[in-house]
Amino acid sequence: MEHTAEHTHPVTGPVTYAKVLGALLVLTVVTVYASYLDFGSMNTVVALLIASVKASLVALFFMHLRHDKFNAVIFLGGLLFLAIFMIWTLFDIGTRVTVLPSNLKTPVQEFPGAPLNKPVRPQTGQPLGAPAP
Amino acid sequence: MGQQFDAAKIGMWLFLVTEVLLFGGLFVGYGIMHARHPEAFLAAHHHLDKTMGAINTVVLLISSFTMVLAVWAAQTSKRNLCILFLLITLLCAGVFMGVKYNEYSHKFHEGLLPGKYYSHQGDTVPGQFMFFSFYFMMTGLHGIHVLLGMIVIAWILFRTIRGDFSSEYYSPVDITGLYWHLVDLIWIYVFPLMYLIS
Repeated sequence: MEHTAEHTHPVTGPVTYAKVLGALLVLTVVTVYASYLDFGSMNTVVALLIASVKASLVALFFMHLRHDKFNAVIFLGGLLFLAIFMIWTLFDIGTRVTVLPSNLKTPVQEFPGAPLNKPVRPQTGQPLGAPAP
Repeated sequence: MGQQFDAAKIGMWLFLVTEVLLFGGLFVGYGIMHARHPEAFLAAHHHLDKTMGAINTVVLLISSFTMVLAVWAAQTSKRNLCILFLLITLLCAGVFMGVKYNEYSHKFHEGLLPGKYYSHQGDTVPGQFMFFSFYFMMTGLHGIHVLLGMIVIAWILFRTIRGDFSSEYYSPVDITGLYWHLVDLIWIYVFPLMYLIS
């Protein structure tokens, strides 16, 4: 019956915490340094990866999640929904293309009713408002 | 006692999940606008001081460290150490807010304000007000969380001085610690996204 706090929640000592703090400070220097390097389109990804390593250290050690599987599942559940939120938004934003005749792979002749600067159907080159064939 | 402790902790974690989703909305909005106006965001972030941001990151990391040591001290019934670590945590939070105040007043002075209040002169890249809308919303909401955290930590400090906590009962300290680490966790993402765009 008797569950002492120590029994259910093992005590981590200051030495471990100090090491984690050291790692976090080193990673902060790394992330500032990385911002001066150019990884092209991967710049934000690199910054977010380093941030995620730091966040994991904080969650696992400072928030004791490595000894706390139940709450880790709750937290990961929250992160799952955050990921759905972000990824589905990316799908939407990433697939919104204004199709212009000049963007099509095979050039489309300009003809009345489909001026070159108006959005068109990619398959036919017909203006968007026109009924599909 | 163990069951109560666990129930309180689960409640805190559920609250932290709602916090993550609250900030998540802002991060998604930031991501969309950044993807659409990369030049404006790149130009606007040069108005921020990387050094100030880095100092605040370090200060907040150290405060997280002292907070977890305060929890450890409460776990092992070291009352005086617990008081000391809570005081350092409060001090770090104060330094964080002080630096933030400095940054904010500098931006108010320059007219680097969100939305229609943006009045900075001599921009070469248009649309920088958008960056500052997100900057003030995200760092502002985070700052409010730091202020609330300071109030809660002050209350925990008062209760520790009164002698409420020991290895038998320390869940308020533990739970306050969780909240404080989440505030740190959010800043870990805000810092590179706001100050280190490249």
